[in-house]
Amino acid sequence: MSGISAASVRPATLRLSLGCDLAEVRMAVQAVHGFLAEHGWNAHDLMSFDLALVEACNNAVKYTDEAGRRQSIGLEATVEPTQVEFRIHDHTPGFDWPRKIELPDPESESGRGLFLITSLMDYAGYFRGQSENILVMRKNRMAPESIIALPQLENPENYAHKLIESEKVIGEMVEELSSCYESLSAIFRYSTEHHKTDNLREFAQRLLADLLQIVAAEWFVLRLVPKAEPRLVVFAASEPELQLEPLPFPAKGKMANALELEAALTRQRVWFDSQRPMLAEDPLNRVKPNAAGLTHPILLGGQLMGTLTLGKAATDDVSADLAFTAGQSNVINTFADFLAIQIANTQFQEEQFHRRLVTHELEIANNIQRSLLLKTLPQLPGFTLDAFCRSAHEVGGDFYDVLKVNDHSLLLVIADVMGKGIPAAMFAAILRTLLRAAPEFINQPAALLTRVNRLLFPELSGVDMFITAQLAFVDAKSRKLVAASAGHCPLSIASPSGIKTFSPEGMPLGILPDTSFQDETVDLPENCRVLLYTDGLTEALNAKGEYFGQQRLMDWLASTTATPQTAGQLKDALAAELAVYQANTVLNDDQTFLIMAQ
Amino acid sequence: MKMQIQGETLRISDIRELGAANSNDFRDRARAALVDGKKNIEIDLSQTMFLDSCGLGTLISLHKTTCSRNGMLRLLNPTPGVQQILELTRMHRLFEIVKN
Repeated sequence: MSGISAASVRPATLRLSLGCDLAEVRMAVQAVHGFLAEHGWNAHDLMSFDLALVEACNNAVKYTDEAGRRQSIGLEATVEPTQVEFRIHDHTPGFDWPRKIELPDPESESGRGLFLITSLMDYAGYFRGQSENILVMRKNRMAPESIIALPQLENPENYAHKLIESEKVIGEMVEELSSCYESLSAIFRYSTEHHKTDNLREFAQRLLADLLQIVAAEWFVLRLVPKAEPRLVVFAASEPELQLEPLPFPAKGKMANALELEAALTRQRVWFDSQRPMLAEDPLNRVKPNAAGLTHPILLGGQLMGTLTLGKAATDDVSADLAFTAGQSNVINTFADFLAIQIANTQFQEEQFHRRLVTHELEIANNIQRSLLLKTLPQLPGFTLDAFCRSAHEVGGDFYDVLKVNDHSLLLVIADVMGKGIPAAMFAAILRTLLRAAPEFINQPAALLTRVNRLLFPELSGVDMFITAQLAFVDAKSRKLVAASAGHCPLSIASPSGIKTFSPEGMPLGILPDTSFQDETVDLPENCRVLLYTDGLTEALNAKGEYFGQQRLMDWLASTTATPQTAGQLKDALAAELAVYQANTVLNDDQTFLIMAQ
Repeated sequence: MKMQIQGETLRISDIRELGAANSNDFRDRARAALVDGKKNIEIDLSQTMFLDSCGLGTLISLHKTTCSRNGMLRLLNPTPGVQQILELTRMHRLFEIVKN
């Protein structure tokens, strides 16, 4: 140790710029000589510097090419308490610094420059760059005590003063060392612990409570930037009063009105104390007026994750201007970096978990939806009935049901919930339950729809969804069909004598709270086919982007009456027809139909 | 810089510096003065406060010139700084250094 407190002496630098001329080199070196003499370097060292600098600068002049000659050579000398550093910026093509520098043959007239430099200096290194190269040379200053062999008699007070100085320096070093030790051990401890806890908030709370102890702060506020939200939200704080309101990022060009926003936007630490108090409108100032401390931006890979503010009561002592020592501020830095990694890890794990959860939920919803669809359909004497349902998504919004009323009658239900995914599947399940919960209306489709609409309206309108549905009560004995529609596709009945479509009037379910539906009763002709479908059929697209269309569907249905076929055969035929039409396309809507044949 | 002729010897003195800026000129003037059978050179370094590698190169060049004439180069009374450079670069082995 030199005995000079490093904190008490600031480095001094002399910068010179010289033309590419040997004569200028000597003048510049003499200027450096004077500068270093003023800073107390002895004659012996000064002579060494003169020679080393001349050798370095002469090389910079001699080896410069035509282009470099127009640029000046930079010479810097920086004096620190324990050393001097020289930097010579040259514009030569540069050279490879030899691994070993030896003297040339004694008769050689050149090649001693680098040898002299390395002999006279304690360090020399050459750094080649694109636009310039830098030769760095350093020489350590011998401590005055070691130069002066004989101890000088000094006033005892001076010794006491020196002792206090030294103790202070040692004290600072010990404090920094112990801070480093504490932060390292805390990080090791928390690294192990983090695997044991699922709760990031709790983890951060404990980690930062420890940090308060280590750096002798009184309170902390950790704010994070929520995903895709331009604001800072308190995530953890040392006191309930510090659970402050979120801080939205100011609009472009507007000033940040809070410390934390300033640190977040500038990505620089912001210190505050009695000299540089917080802004009056800063929420922190409300809870912690007259505080001193710093706000540290939490960054990971250049991305802002949040801010960490640590503070304590400000003192009037001007020398305690900065609330934390360099050692403490390093510890805060280390903790903030560590926390950033933990936050990023946790967020990644949560996202993974959420993704798995969504996939799992979709599977469940898909299973629910499949379970709603009957595995075996009730049948009517003299008729066959079959159903087809294909979802465009993992969970579709189409739904069909067949309710057995008695031995000779059934209620056919087909519905399309507007919207896809889990909510659509849930409404399909609710609709199924409501339809089955009113046996007294089972043979009155319009009345049943009115009741269901009244019950479903509050739920559907609340989420901006609606359902189109077609109900058909079929009685095999009387050969009557009673249909009611809630804004659904027409019901078609084909027979050898022709094809008819029925669109009883009615609003979709969930549009109006009180709306009425109409029953339309038709006779079932001999050898008839009854088709209930969703718009996914008529709106099926081919590779050219053309709709399958209602006409094509009706033509197909009419064509089926030529030969006797069961509903199962008809279902397969229509499914095949659709598959051919939609070849090489992606299914864009659910496709569902119920078909009955005699 | 002063030059004197003493018999077969050229004596050069009053040299403040011997470096890159003036060493070529120094060499040329010394060679020009080394005429008519002069074969030795004595360089008085008692006033020389600065010597760099170019200056060393000039001394070596003049040393070779004298050798080719079967003469010799002698350095007189170098200042401590110059003496240190000569020793550091092992030149004291090549030149005769005379101290009065």
